[in-house]
Amino acid sequence: MAFIELDHVSFQYPSAPTAALDDVALAVHEGERVAIVGANGSGKTTLARLLNALYLPTGGRVRIAGMDSSDLSQHRAIRQLVGMVFQNPEDQLVAAVVEEDVAFGLENLGLPAAQMRPRVDALLQAFDLWDHRLRPPFMLSMGQMQRLALAGVLAVQPRVIVFDETTAMLDPAGRRTVLARIDELHRAGTTIISITHFMGEAARAERVIVLSHGRVALDGPPVEVFSDPQRLHALGLHLPPAAALARSLRPVLPGLPPDLLNTTDLLEALPVCPNPVAVAPEAESAPQTAPRADVIRVVGLGHIYLKGTPLAHRALGNANLRVGLGEVHGLAGATGSGKSTLLQHLNGLLFPQEGQVTVGPHHLHEAGADRYAARRLAGLAFQNPEVQLFETFVGDEIAYGPRQSGLDRPAVREAVRWAMERVGLGFEAFKDRRSFALSGGEQKKVALASILARRPEILLLDEPLAGLDPRSRDELLVTLRALVDLGLTLVVSSHQMDDLAGLVDDATLMSGGWDVLNGPAAMVFEREEELLASGLEAPVAARAALELRRKGWPLPPGLVTPEKLLAALRRP
Amino acid sequence: MSEFEYLRNLPFGQVVPGDSPVHRLDSRARILAFTILLAAILFTPHPLGLVFGLVVIAGGLRLAGLPLGYALRSLLSPLPFLIILALLQVFFNAQADTGLVLLRLGPVLITPADLLVGGMLLLRFAGLVLGISFASQVLSTSELTHGMESLFRPLERVRLPVHDGVMALVVAVRFLPFLAQSAERIAKAQAARGAEWTRPASGRNPFTRLWARARALLPLLVPVFVTSLRRAETMALAMDARGYASRAHPTALVEMRFTPRDGLAVGLALILAAVVLFL
Repeated sequence: MAFIELDHVSFQYPSAPTAALDDVALAVHEGERVAIVGANGSGKTTLARLLNALYLPTGGRVRIAGMDSSDLSQHRAIRQLVGMVFQNPEDQLVAAVVEEDVAFGLENLGLPAAQMRPRVDALLQAFDLWDHRLRPPFMLSMGQMQRLALAGVLAVQPRVIVFDETTAMLDPAGRRTVLARIDELHRAGTTIISITHFMGEAARAERVIVLSHGRVALDGPPVEVFSDPQRLHALGLHLPPAAALARSLRPVLPGLPPDLLNTTDLLEALPVCPNPVAVAPEAESAPQTAPRADVIRVVGLGHIYLKGTPLAHRALGNANLRVGLGEVHGLAGATGSGKSTLLQHLNGLLFPQEGQVTVGPHHLHEAGADRYAARRLAGLAFQNPEVQLFETFVGDEIAYGPRQSGLDRPAVREAVRWAMERVGLGFEAFKDRRSFALSGGEQKKVALASILARRPEILLLDEPLAGLDPRSRDELLVTLRALVDLGLTLVVSSHQMDDLAGLVDDATLMSGGWDVLNGPAAMVFEREEELLASGLEAPVAARAALELRRKGWPLPPGLVTPEKLLAALRRP
Repeated sequence: MSEFEYLRNLPFGQVVPGDSPVHRLDSRARILAFTILLAAILFTPHPLGLVFGLVVIAGGLRLAGLPLGYALRSLLSPLPFLIILALLQVFFNAQADTGLVLLRLGPVLITPADLLVGGMLLLRFAGLVLGISFASQVLSTSELTHGMESLFRPLERVRLPVHDGVMALVVAVRFLPFLAQSAERIAKAQAARGAEWTRPASGRNPFTRLWARARALLPLLVPVFVTSLRRAETMALAMDARGYASRAHPTALVEMRFTPRDGLAVGLALILAAVVLFL
């Protein structure tokens, strides 16, 4: 008998017009590793919450180890068997002190303190939290909180762990750590069910379930699920980046086996060059464009948060940045590298404590600099801007900025219309819709439009692509390219180099509060070692190019996107 | 300084870990002793008792190995208000005059009784502020909540949800830094969209000005509420997922042991409080 059984399960939220899950039948066996993927709104999180009786099905039955989840008396036993790790670790840390948070589940089970203590202590040691055991959880770093969240779930020794987009907001180093822990748990026999937007991660599972509009669209081993890109695309998904690259390389490297899904396999499978040329060709000279005038110049910037309190910490020390007019500049960096702090200096939200910041004509380090004018010149969109909406109607939301600038009614209307069209929201269709009733993706568009409506000449975007499903990600990239064509200068921060490589002209690699590397994107994204040391990963195309060159292929440097790599391989 | 660092205004990292006789007491003993002594200082009618209370607190700080200067610093920010309050007491004391007049300022007479009342107000507040600062240096949130839960447990017999109440308190405390952080993030985001609530609102009459200022806060309040509610919902789910059930009787990792020494400490606090009240 399967460990978890869903028998024609449906689920409908009380206020929703349609069912979130519709007649889902599934069985998960003990020890399996399952990935659940699907576009936003396909029902993944709803499904996860049915697995440990957080939600009860409105139709059909969910059985966990034979226990029916609609039987309230079984809930405690079910939740001990099925642990759940949420996306944001802060949301699941409950206790006032780290060690008590690890013990929270055990306390609820009614275990005596003498039995709890050794388990809690062992977990604190294993997760490198021993020195912090008496601190309040909010004083931990993001990575520590993530470990604490997992330790708290493992304390009750569940047989199944559901990871609900646990890795969505993590940088590559953080993700590698979590994935390594998942591998370990799985080897030890724990059943793993992970929900993810990263197809590369899904490919690590033994079985991938694709949800679409509340139904199971595909269910099978990764090789099978990822065999048809067209079908995936129709479901709002993508191939894993390595698989997509392998597929596009196969015409020029016919020896490449089919069904390559992850980067390691792809790199191994890349063939050695049949007729190696002794001398690698020179880099093709980039078409000379006139040097761009600097619109942003940061020199020796330093910043300490909560200066003079016990919580003081340095976020920036000697950071430098130059961005040319009309350029798309990438800020690459892991969590805590200082890229958000740097961005907030560029529109005058933070004042330079050390060093100089010049944006357009504004010298923000000088007393009397007009920060309000700098904010108008450079619009900043924070990560998850949709949580900042406050007006009832979309039109009013977007009009807020222009109204603050004191424009008259027709001008405000024009600014709103312009901004909405830029992000792909029809003016007439959306201006009178209620902001809070929109989908997550539409809310993100409204938030972006509300910044564009002030007609900034520079757009600063903090992790705009983090946490997006593949389809929304593609749409946003199209919007951003269109803005560049209009002449806007863009500064985009990200910890996903694959996202940046195809978008930016130049890039700055941030680590530990300063700029480790500065230069053309083709140069920065090729520096595998520096990227790895900074907690990041080179784009998969760049890694393939480096590997091919090691294997004797005469490739020029700077091949950081699949298109460039393919073009170079096609050249005779 | 940044105009957005709201976290700065929260009291943080006040607990000073240590291994003094005060730290070693059971948390319930500490809570009881502090409550008894502070109540005595709050209610005593005797100036000498107040002075004695201050001496007791200073002695307690010494016993706990805490620097007196640090505790005294907590007096600094409320001091101007205290002095103003004390002066008001001196000038407008309604107690009957004893006849002896020290000073005459126009219609206001200042008598020894006035000075005494003003002085006592200063001493009383100083005692309370020092005592609370002392307590917050030796009682962590976790000790406070566990101690309170245990002290209030008898109330469960009359069906008061003590465990839930204490859990609510813990979660509320957990939420404070989060609220400060999310308010900070949202204030920044709105500032980036042109919000300027640091600038004075203009308007013809005071009512429109007030209205304009209230409206200017809307962009901050709505998202803070929406995110907090969403957050609270997820946290409730997470607690459910981790087996929290309000009617169950959970155990606690940190066990409390009330020893004779703790009883002695509470007894001592009672005696000292009696001295403060009746000296």
